[in-house]
Amino acid sequence: MAELAIAKKQKTPWYVSQARRKRSFAILLTTFFIVMQIVWVGLPIFMTVLWSLVDPNHPWSYPNILPEKLSWGQWVYVFKYTNIIRALKTSYTIAPFAVLLSFILSLPTAYVLGRKQIPGKKFFQTIVLLPIIMPGMVVALFLSRVFTAFGLAQSFIGLVLAHTLMGLPYMIRVLTTSFEAIPQDIIDAAENLGANTFTKIKDIFLPMVRPGLLAGMVFAFTTSIEEFNLTFIIGTPTFETIPTILYSFLGYNFIRTNASVVALIMMIPNIVMLFAVENILKSDYLSASLGKL
Amino acid sequence: MERKEISVLHYLLLLPGVGFIVLFIGSSIFITITQSFGLFSITGKSQFTMENWKAIFHDKESLDSILFSLKMGLLSSIGTLLFAFPVALFLRKGGAGKRFLASLIKIPLFIPALVAAFLIINLISYHGIVNEALIALHIIKKPLRMLNDKFGWGVVAIQVWKNIPFVLLILSSSLASIRDDTVDAARNLGAGTFAVLFRIYVPLAMPGILVSMILMFIKAFGDFAITSVAGPTYPPSIALRMRNTATLFQEWDKAAVLGVIIILTTLFITWLYSRLAEFVTGSK
Repeated sequence: MAELAIAKKQKTPWYVSQARRKRSFAILLTTFFIVMQIVWVGLPIFMTVLWSLVDPNHPWSYPNILPEKLSWGQWVYVFKYTNIIRALKTSYTIAPFAVLLSFILSLPTAYVLGRKQIPGKKFFQTIVLLPIIMPGMVVALFLSRVFTAFGLAQSFIGLVLAHTLMGLPYMIRVLTTSFEAIPQDIIDAAENLGANTFTKIKDIFLPMVRPGLLAGMVFAFTTSIEEFNLTFIIGTPTFETIPTILYSFLGYNFIRTNASVVALIMMIPNIVMLFAVENILKSDYLSASLGKL
Repeated sequence: MERKEISVLHYLLLLPGVGFIVLFIGSSIFITITQSFGLFSITGKSQFTMENWKAIFHDKESLDSILFSLKMGLLSSIGTLLFAFPVALFLRKGGAGKRFLASLIKIPLFIPALVAAFLIINLISYHGIVNEALIALHIIKKPLRMLNDKFGWGVVAIQVWKNIPFVLLILSSSLASIRDDTVDAARNLGAGTFAVLFRIYVPLAMPGILVSMILMFIKAFGDFAITSVAGPTYPPSIALRMRNTATLFQEWDKAAVLGVIIILTTLFITWLYSRLAEFVTGSK
């Protein structure tokens, strides 16, 4: 019997057992990375959620590993006694205007960058990235000088223009790739069938770049919501947005519990939007819009 | 003739987006440069002078802040790369659970820098969970000072945490362009894991590695918010020093000098990158 068992064991060829070992090793490694990642990303967020729920009357201090009592007290306090509601309103009013303006400005530019071969294209593509590459504080400080000269500092329009500037690179890049992805055949076919420029824009370009447009809008929107440098220099103290409020909570009057609440208010919509965009981009939008033609 | 007309139209169509950016970024760069030489001064009289430059180069706090920011830029870019490269390699091939992992990793990308700073501050503060865990494991006896520490480790930690997904995106796209054939051929010829890593993956992903390091350096070098929240009390980051010089002391001309230094460093690093990229890829 023992001999038979050994013979059976030997029948498993070496490469099969090696492949098996490799596969189980890969699964182990993936699990390890996922657990690490959950700690790496999850722990900081979890701690902040905990801090935001600490009951105001039962402070959470050093020897306690967990807070004594949890409540919504901090949330109530922040909404009642700080400028958060006004800041939320300001943030979420500036953002749509900035998104709209950057959409209007980037549509023709992205069309040329995505579909036309023009001399100096590489140069223009680099120029478009300048707002991301340039150090934010330098632009903020000295743009504020320009804005002061033109009476735009401390004004709503000034803030919208500044936020548009920061959102434009993302919008132009996403739209450029969407324009690039349109097959030339379709445009040729439309032209062949007598489509004029207006029809081409309405029936080909706009529908086919719509998914990219949505992604670009989400990028521009989140950029506007989290924009700090320019808002801080050009808008404070007349305008307060969520980031500038958070900055004041982290700076001279550091209140961890209040800052936790504001941090979560700022963070949650962003993460929701991230997954929304992922879902849009996952579906093969090109074939989807081709199906409608 | 007709062709030329069309291309003029193309440049006109570029104008809204490109023009807007050139107008705003260009004007702010222009004002920075001219003001550093005392021109276009809004407060005080305007005349060409080198005094501001001299003053900055004799000001210890400014010099310290420049060195500090250079250090932060370098450490943040190296640190992020060290964390992101193994993950990028691991994610190169699809597999069970990797999609989930990839979207988990991307989360910090959508967390604003200030919020990220706060999240990490919570962990590394004096009685934060990291210190408590290290003490519980008997690795250290007294809590370490990681926040507002003299060296700036807190800032590096925040930069690394926040920017890993950003660097990962760049690295993944350059690793994805490496063909499996190349790797298989190397293995076939007897290359071990390390040989494949250092003679195939790293050299072929070098353009991506360089781009991500440059962008990280520029980000961390010109950073204002994170350093002012988690950085040491002295020296300030160069952007913080510039903003204080401008708005607290109302010395805009001197702040402009610091601004020019930031811009020049950024340009120099970008130029260095393009030279390095030429050197690595061996093309002109």
